[in-house]
Amino acid sequence: MAQYLPVLLLLALSTVFAALSFVASSLLAPRKRPTAAKVAPYECGIVPDVEPPQRFPVRFYLVAMIFIIFDIEIVFLYPWAVTYRELGTFGLVEVLVFAAIVFVSFVYLVSNGALDWGPAKRLRVAMGERTTESTVARVGPEGGPRAGRAA
Amino acid sequence: MIHAAFLVFLLPLAGAAVLALGGRRLGDPLAGWVGTAGVAGAFVAACVTTGGLLSRAAPARSFDQTLFTWIPVGGLNVKAALLVDPLSMTMALFVTGVSTLIHLYSIGYMRGDEDYPKFFLYLNLFVASMVILVMGDNLLFTFVGWEGVGVCSYWLIAFWFGRPSAASAGKKAFLYNRLADVGFLLAIFLVFERTGTLQYHGIFAHLGAIGPSSRTAICLLLFAAAAGKSAQLPLFPWLADAMEGPTPVSALIHAATMVTAGVYLMCRINPILHTSHPAQLVVASVGAATAFVAATIGCAQDDIKKVLAYSTVSQLGYMFLAVGTGAYEAAIFLMVAHAFFKAELFLGAGSVIHGLDDEQDLKRMGNLRRWMPLTFGTFVFGWLAIAGIPPLAGFWAKGDVLDNAWARFPVLWVVGLVTAALTAYYMSRLSALAFWGDDRWREVLARPAGATGSGGHPGHDAHPHEAPWVMGVPLVVLALLSFVGGALLLPWRPGAPLHWLAPVFGGRLYDAHLSGTTQWVLGVVDAAVAVLGVAVALPLWSRRPVHDRLEPEALKRAWFLDDVYDAVIGRPSQAAARFAATVVDVQVIDGAVNGVGRLARGAGSGLRRVQTGFVRQYALGIVVGAVALLAFMASRVW
Amino acid sequence: MTALLAATAHVVLPKIAYHSILPVLVLLGGAAALLGVSALVRRPLDTSAVTAVTVLTALGSLSTALVQWADVRNHGPHVAIDGAIVQDGFSALIGVLVSCAVLLAALVGDSWMRREEVRGPEFQVLMLISAAGAVVMGEANDLVVVFLGLEILSIALYVLAAFDARRQQSGEAGLKYFILGSFSSAVFVYGIALTYGATGTTNLPQIADYLARNVLLHEGLLLAGIALLLVGFAFKVAAVPFHLWTPDVYQGAPTPVTGFMAAVAKAGGFAAFLRVFVSSFGLMRNDWQPAVWVVAALTLLLGAVVALVQRDVKRMLAYSSINHAGFVLIGLQAGTAKGVEGALYYLFTYTFMVIGSFAVITVVGGRGDGLHDLERYRGLARRSPWLAISFTVLLLGQAGIPFTTGFLAKLEVVSGAVSGGSTVLAVVAMVSAAIAAFFYLRVVFLMYSSGAPVVELSAAGAGPGGEVRSLSLPAGVSPSVAVEGGPAGAGGGVGTAVAEDEDEEIATIPPTATAVAISLCVGVTVIFGLWPAPLTGFAHLAQLLIH
Repeated sequence: MAQYLPVLLLLALSTVFAALSFVASSLLAPRKRPTAAKVAPYECGIVPDVEPPQRFPVRFYLVAMIFIIFDIEIVFLYPWAVTYRELGTFGLVEVLVFAAIVFVSFVYLVSNGALDWGPAKRLRVAMGERTTESTVARVGPEGGPRAGRAA
Repeated sequence: MIHAAFLVFLLPLAGAAVLALGGRRLGDPLAGWVGTAGVAGAFVAACVTTGGLLSRAAPARSFDQTLFTWIPVGGLNVKAALLVDPLSMTMALFVTGVSTLIHLYSIGYMRGDEDYPKFFLYLNLFVASMVILVMGDNLLFTFVGWEGVGVCSYWLIAFWFGRPSAASAGKKAFLYNRLADVGFLLAIFLVFERTGTLQYHGIFAHLGAIGPSSRTAICLLLFAAAAGKSAQLPLFPWLADAMEGPTPVSALIHAATMVTAGVYLMCRINPILHTSHPAQLVVASVGAATAFVAATIGCAQDDIKKVLAYSTVSQLGYMFLAVGTGAYEAAIFLMVAHAFFKAELFLGAGSVIHGLDDEQDLKRMGNLRRWMPLTFGTFVFGWLAIAGIPPLAGFWAKGDVLDNAWARFPVLWVVGLVTAALTAYYMSRLSALAFWGDDRWREVLARPAGATGSGGHPGHDAHPHEAPWVMGVPLVVLALLSFVGGALLLPWRPGAPLHWLAPVFGGRLYDAHLSGTTQWVLGVVDAAVAVLGVAVALPLWSRRPVHDRLEPEALKRAWFLDDVYDAVIGRPSQAAARFAATVVDVQVIDGAVNGVGRLARGAGSGLRRVQTGFVRQYALGIVVGAVALLAFMASRVW
Repeated sequence: MTALLAATAHVVLPKIAYHSILPVLVLLGGAAALLGVSALVRRPLDTSAVTAVTVLTALGSLSTALVQWADVRNHGPHVAIDGAIVQDGFSALIGVLVSCAVLLAALVGDSWMRREEVRGPEFQVLMLISAAGAVVMGEANDLVVVFLGLEILSIALYVLAAFDARRQQSGEAGLKYFILGSFSSAVFVYGIALTYGATGTTNLPQIADYLARNVLLHEGLLLAGIALLLVGFAFKVAAVPFHLWTPDVYQGAPTPVTGFMAAVAKAGGFAAFLRVFVSSFGLMRNDWQPAVWVVAALTLLLGAVVALVQRDVKRMLAYSSINHAGFVLIGLQAGTAKGVEGALYYLFTYTFMVIGSFAVITVVGGRGDGLHDLERYRGLARRSPWLAISFTVLLLGQAGIPFTTGFLAKLEVVSGAVSGGSTVLAVVAMVSAAIAAFFYLRVVFLMYSSGAPVVELSAAGAGPGGEVRSLSLPAGVSPSVAVEGGPAGAGGGVGTAVAEDEDEEIATIPPTATAVAISLCVGVTVIFGLWPAPLTGFAHLAQLLIH
């Protein structure tokens, strides 16, 4: 039984932490619930009849993710560099294969314009034609003309 | 050479496949030739295989050809395998041989039919099934063939399904056969339960595992199946109706091959049958009774094909009499001889029907010997053979059966002898009505022609016409075989060809021990009875076509068997069905089913609410499940 | 650092037997080649070229898997790559199975891509990678390798599920699958950790060995590990109560992906599941069997019962696949060689039936992939007899009607359960099969009943997303966005086109590639239903290395 004690302790601790977080947030949060008028965007006093689409600059995330890929490559390359003498030809070949695979994905990314910053010059038409309507609908469903009818 | 066995069923099957895929394109008559070629090839393959078998020493003449493992499930391991031994090859030879002739005949007979290729497709499929039936190495594979011939016969009987009578005859045959097949299935279950195998050799090796009462049960269950397929009492009425099919079908299926399947099956299981005396007695008695009853009915029928149908039933009864006696060789001998002369008779009848523009009523024929000399000349051989006039095949075959019956069951011998007299009588009646007497057919041919089938010959020549050569050749060959077929097993020849069957039956073959004098006396009695029947019938019926006292209503209507079935089974089950449909089904079953359905649906709708679409709730579900599992595991520790 | 250096001074290189992972290499090589070439050429790759390469790759991995099979038959099962990979009949069979699935799904996907005007190699590349993961799971001999395979398989599938960017449902499916999948992966890794803590190894034979040699005084740690591994596997194969993602994801994902996912994820998941539980935890059988028993029973019943009330065919088949998972679990629960054999056979037959079924649904779904209401199937037999008869065969196979492979598959697992002493579970299975037969037959009945589909239902209901009503998707994705009601998505054009295309869609003629795939599936289902010997023999010989 004694050997499980740390595990149990950890379990208890995490439960307590989670519970505390909820309690704390309810204690610290503003008492008053925000009304609809309060959260509405301010448009010079005019009541907005269409919710403005919220645009996420998705490119930031994209680049961040791509960065992770190469980050991982470095993570692999370092230990290999330390021991490459012991690993010999076998290690070299394996790392080359690994690098080649990463390189292929890199080329793919470049060819797709994933690293082009600024206005898209050469976006692949992988998903057929884009229309204004489809683009808007994709970003914010409330913006589409059909959504209003369905909702 | 012996390895060619698989070709025997593969070639007709291939023929069927070709016809199924391209039959329409081949058309008339090429489709017929393709079908015939498939079956003729099978015959050649059977000959080759038999040659291979003969080249072995007599005791070693049994060979298993495994094609593939068919069903390996647990303890049940069924192979699709062929058993090549003298019995199966005898069957295969005469099945493919007779089929070839009938195929050839059909090329002419079916000319102009709109479903010409389909007809040959069915015929080929039938031959393939029949070969599987006789060459199957285990009960289940045999059963595949058994059902195959069943369904083919259904298609073929109902081939002209536009006629209500043909459609209902097909249905009737199918129902009677299905009813009987239940016996086959039960026997398979019982055998498997007792021995754990379905292979014939395996079963016979494990006979000790089957108790005496089980053996009797197995034999009787299989006999029930055989009685259905081979049209024995009380299941024979379907065969007479089956004559609604085209005449080559009647010849092929309902005279020569399919109906002998039951006899074959009983011969195949002879090691079991041998050990069960009650079963043997039942088989022999039912056989003798069927032979007699069918012969009496045959005396009063007006339809030429129905007479032949009842005579088939009667002859099959003889075969079962022999099987029950233990005289398997005699049974096979009669089967082969019967195949020759009955096919001859049917094809001859078909030729007559063809020549008279589809007239089947004997009372409207007469004096045809003048107009159809070839048909008449060949028909005579079939007629005299079945009547048992020496030295034709029928005399020897029937004599063999009766001799054995005399030695073992004297009472049944008496029945058999009376039946022999009746056989000679009704076959002579048929011949007299068809080929002697006045030209009663004139009014038939005076009808506006071309209303039915056989086309081609308009009514202007207004006399019966002889068949084309493709129909003539089989007639001649079969007539010849009816004549010399007796040579297969002449009593005084120890080396007669059919004796090669002996290893299959071994010591189980009944040995009659009759002295030479007895055999002579019995032979003379047989011949005398046959001559008597012919002598009575021929003058009587060629002079006048109507004798009311000799054709009582009871015989015309087959001892009212159909009416009895209708009253005893048909009407009560209809009433029961109506009750089930209106009361049981609606109130009890629907109620229960709907109740269960409502329960399941209710549960479904309830559970569906769990599916909220929220990922967080799904994750919660996983957590709950994981906690439950952990709790369970925790309970295992403490 | 010095300690690290000291440790690395004695690197012992494992002997890498590349031929033992050849199917994986072929699949990944094909994927990398496709990706590289597509990046280097200027114009988008031709769909038929991509499909051809994929099919060739699948055939390549199929043949290498068969070579492995022959190798195992000749030289016996063995381990490779320092015990991380195992070569036995089981792994070879999974390789064959997954290769077949890729082949069929590539054919179906080809037609789907043409219809939806999707270009580029990504679809096939992801499929190949995912399949490689499944093969790795089949031959993994170490819990860590199992996890590796699981992740390769899953991550590609997450993206595939979200592949149809035009339908919002697809994105939602991908996201849901991703979140829940990573959650279950975390649980799975925790299970690996606990198992390692209890036995000191993650190598599967070594775990078995350890359990055979030692009596655990405190088996709590190991049992907790087993429980968590069970959760991870059960999630992957969609067993109740870890199945909740299945209906939404199956429905949302593009239909060819659904077929592929249903086949390959289950095959990979069950492959590792069977190996880990039967081989490694065989001695702990008494502990996990009751748990699996309950999970199997729940899976069987819930899958069958809830499918009854579905109006959407994809969703119905999702529940039916849950029911199928229950049947495979029965084989697992038996924990015997016979049970494993039955489970394998079931997986094999199921693969063909499910890919074929979803191929039919892809065709009927029409442009936009949205017309999946049961009503669409009314009178299909008249519009497209060939399609209807194929679907009928596949559904009857799934229902377990004799003379299809499905019958024998059910028979094998159930007889395995009975011989293993789980008679009650066998009864539950048969009851669930009886319930399931109802909804399969309902589709068949609809297809052969007269009349045209009530088109208003699909045309008026917001285009391709028309059937979203049964899949109520409240703010599951992001709290601020209410997705209820299936907004037009990218379907503005497609949605309005539905009514005009009605005549064309009612004709419902499958494109050639899909027709080939469906024929293959139907052929396998029928031919091996009539002549089961080769396939049962295959499954019978495909034994685990240890059991």
